[in-house]
Amino acid sequence: MNEANARTADAIDRALLQRMAAGDHAALAALYRSYHGRLCRFLSRLTRRPDIIEEVVNDCFWIAWQHAGDFRGDARVSTWLMGITYRCGLKALRRQGVELADDLTDDAFPPGLGEGTDPGEDRELRDLLGKALALLSADQRVVVELVYGVGHSLNEVAAILQCPVGTVKARLFHARMKLLNVVPALSGETREQGS
Amino acid sequence: MGFTPNSNQDCMLAWEAMPDALQGALTPRQSEWLDGHLARCDACRAQFAQQQRLQRAMSLPVDLPIDAEAGLKRLLSRIDNPDLAKAPEPSRPVGWAGRALVAAIVLQAIGLGAMGAKLWSLESAPAYRTLSREAAPAPAGSIRLVPDPAMELADWNALLDASGLRVVEGPNKVGGYLVVPTTEAVRREALLQRLRSTRGILLAEPVAGTP
Repeated sequence: MNEANARTADAIDRALLQRMAAGDHAALAALYRSYHGRLCRFLSRLTRRPDIIEEVVNDCFWIAWQHAGDFRGDARVSTWLMGITYRCGLKALRRQGVELADDLTDDAFPPGLGEGTDPGEDRELRDLLGKALALLSADQRVVVELVYGVGHSLNEVAAILQCPVGTVKARLFHARMKLLNVVPALSGETREQGS
Repeated sequence: MGFTPNSNQDCMLAWEAMPDALQGALTPRQSEWLDGHLARCDACRAQFAQQQRLQRAMSLPVDLPIDAEAGLKRLLSRIDNPDLAKAPEPSRPVGWAGRALVAAIVLQAIGLGAMGAKLWSLESAPAYRTLSREAAPAPAGSIRLVPDPAMELADWNALLDASGLRVVEGPNKVGGYLVVPTTEAVRREALLQRLRSTRGILLAEPVAGTP
């Protein structure tokens, strides 16, 4: 998403938040539908349990509903919601006694998960991504998701994770190095060589 | 693939610029510089291709079965009924401090219940009785209830109404009441359990000898 599109999307989100602050359920539903996919995918980098993911998404919107009027507008709505989701996610995992999924193996992202919905190339891409993500720590996966999946800047990621931007840069650097050296197929080399 | 981000200064700059480039966040000048570098550097071009593929892979929809509409319905229901819809938090291990606190609360509750029962018995069983008058037996199904003094009258009335109870005696010195079910259909044990778990009810005990 380029800067202009991001600004437009944020203006829409802010308008929805204002309506939510006034108790508008329809605005809440609109924001919920708009973010559900992104939040679920983000949380799926922390845990593979759909029940926890669903609980965290609803906790996030429960908080957003109660504090919509407190949103100061210093950051994008997306950054604010992602921050709430991240903290709710960590809290839910602690409550469930689930550790951050640092040790996800290939089994966590079994091949063919998207079968039936993904076109062939996407299915292959998803399988490769599963292998790649299994190599990263949970912290690295979260940063990669926020930068590449959601499209946040490094400063925004630092605000979401409440850590210095240098930490975000370091996590991204190490994640990219692992992906580069261990999963070259993600660059398309295997496909090109094989074809 | 021979790329490492230490290859040279230009490759380092290109490496750092790639995430912003994917998001369309580079200035036209930065973008032009990166395009020029990628045209000359095979390693960076391969790395950028990987970044694009990674971005596409990361943008695929979540591969877990999570229904947005069902989740939204639950959220709206939770908002409409915040007390009822709040999911109970699963139990978690507590430390020694937590266990000590729970033990103290249980002891306090037992003590309070015993004290209330004793005071009640003092109140409901007078020290003497005239020989010409028999002690009036408690009505069938009677229950002793001691509400918290801080309980609102409206809450008390709502509880009686919802539980199908009416007051037949009280309050006594400890603020206790004798209540009886308004219908016979009420299951006594379930009713007692519900009353005991109601916030603001300090004591709920059946009167001995009544069915």
